[in-house]
Amino acid sequence: MSGDAKPAGELVAHGPTAGRDDTSPFTTRQLARIDEALTLSSRETGLTFSVYVGELADPSRATAEGLFGKLATDVDGAVLVAVSPGQRKLHIVTGETSAPRLPNRACALAALGMRAAFSSGDLAGGIVTGLRMLADAAGRP
Amino acid sequence: MRRHGPPECEGHARVRYRVDVSVAQTALVFAGIPLAVVAVFALLIFGPSQLRQPNRYRPGKPWTYAPVWYIPRPLPENSSAPHRAVGAPSRPAIESGDQAPTPNAVGGASGEW
Repeated sequence: MSGDAKPAGELVAHGPTAGRDDTSPFTTRQLARIDEALTLSSRETGLTFSVYVGELADPSRATAEGLFGKLATDVDGAVLVAVSPGQRKLHIVTGETSAPRLPNRACALAALGMRAAFSSGDLAGGIVTGLRMLADAAGRP
Repeated sequence: MRRHGPPECEGHARVRYRVDVSVAQTALVFAGIPLAVVAVFALLIFGPSQLRQPNRYRPGKPWTYAPVWYIPRPLPENSSAPHRAVGAPSRPAIESGDQAPTPNAVGGASGEW
């Protein structure tokens, strides 16, 4: 993995050895899967999917929407998938461009699929599942 | 001269257990061997996953890792464009809780597990 699934700002930069150290909860293989799902689903749908994994300050929904605001100022058709494993919460945020293609019902279905994986401890699998379900729901542009 | 007792015992060496088993040896047999067996099984069960992914997420465990935020790779034809990180580099990623929800966010879903 050439590290193009970029962490934002000053956040942890992942290299090929990430996952063997204590700074990443994901193995290199899992990072590659997330990277692939992120890139493919974004290319397929024309939307810009983004995955945030980390703590979401209370109220977590407003925090996720604030993160989405930063993302949406930079890209068009943004969709944010925010996961807070410590709080066991996840948020999917859509914007003005992406909401018509991803109705709340489709987001809820993806959130359900992600919850099923997360509750069994499969963090990377849940993220990949959620991205695939969202991409399937959004279809092609 | 004749001793009472079963005649077949006569002339035989006295049957008895060995007496030179110390307390430490007894403990080793009755505690050490079971512990060793348990340790072997625990290693077989938990060892591989610990080796493969020592910091795997388990529901309910605290999350001590720094937040990460991934955006997709750019398309190959734009690959000459420099990669752009979302957000300013000097800003902590989880600082944004105090800012109001932007009007950009119009939908989505939430969940807990």
